[in-house]
Amino acid sequence: MAKTPSPKVTQSPRMALIVHSDLGVLSNLQSTLSENGYTAIVARDLPTALLAITHHYFDVAIVASQLKEGGDGWPLAGVLHLVFPRAFVSVLAPSDGDVLTLQSAINYGVREVYRESSPAQEVVRNILAAVDPSRNENTRVQ
Amino acid sequence: MTLKRSILLVDDEVSILRTLRMVFEHEGYEVATAANAADAIRLLTRNGCFDAVITDLNMEQEDVGLEVARAAMDCKPKPAVVVCTGFASTKNSRAALAMGIDYMAYKPVELDDLISALNRLILRRQDSGGRN
Repeated sequence: MAKTPSPKVTQSPRMALIVHSDLGVLSNLQSTLSENGYTAIVARDLPTALLAITHHYFDVAIVASQLKEGGDGWPLAGVLHLVFPRAFVSVLAPSDGDVLTLQSAINYGVREVYRESSPAQEVVRNILAAVDPSRNENTRVQ
Repeated sequence: MTLKRSILLVDDEVSILRTLRMVFEHEGYEVATAANAADAIRLLTRNGCFDAVITDLNMEQEDVGLEVARAAMDCKPKPAVVVCTGFASTKNSRAALAMGIDYMAYKPVELDDLISALNRLILRRQDSGGRN
């Protein structure tokens, strides 16, 4: 008797949410994440980001600290941390090293802060290294 | 009957410990205190079942509160861990972020903010069975 083929276990693609008002930044991060096997959903404003949160389960999120007004990205990052507690939520901020920025990161449950001027490749490389340390030595981003 | 929430307060300034004890007892917490990091770590390793830990950073040594926070984060279930400091620096704030501290408050502390953050963190911890 022929063996019944066992059902294929399909792994759903890893999802990333990028929220930034600058189309160029969105595009760079999206393509870098896509090159690394992520399906990246982009949002330029808060309503679109909230809609995306209700439609997908995110493993990674990159949020600008400023969407419309200074600092309004932080609460969104906090919401992402609450909704997806295992996700790697990061914020792009004008500074990644001052005490108040780091305090916001801690209190909103953000895992890492990157300087907004950092190249997309560097941000994504750091995120992937944190999410999956085994990729550290063999990352596709050079 | 509801169980009282428990909290460990760690600070080398007796007046701060007394004040925080009064505040959190008034909030319905069962309060334990330690006046240095060594005593706090001993309490956490012996009977680490606290719902929350609030620790100062600079006590017998600079940033030794991070050691208290680390010991608290090793407890199972993990308590909500809050660092409270008057001497925040990039170095200790970055270390706290890397460790996954739940909340960082700078002295002088806004008590209402601290209490509300702690209540929220404890409720979330209970919801997730202490996994977060």
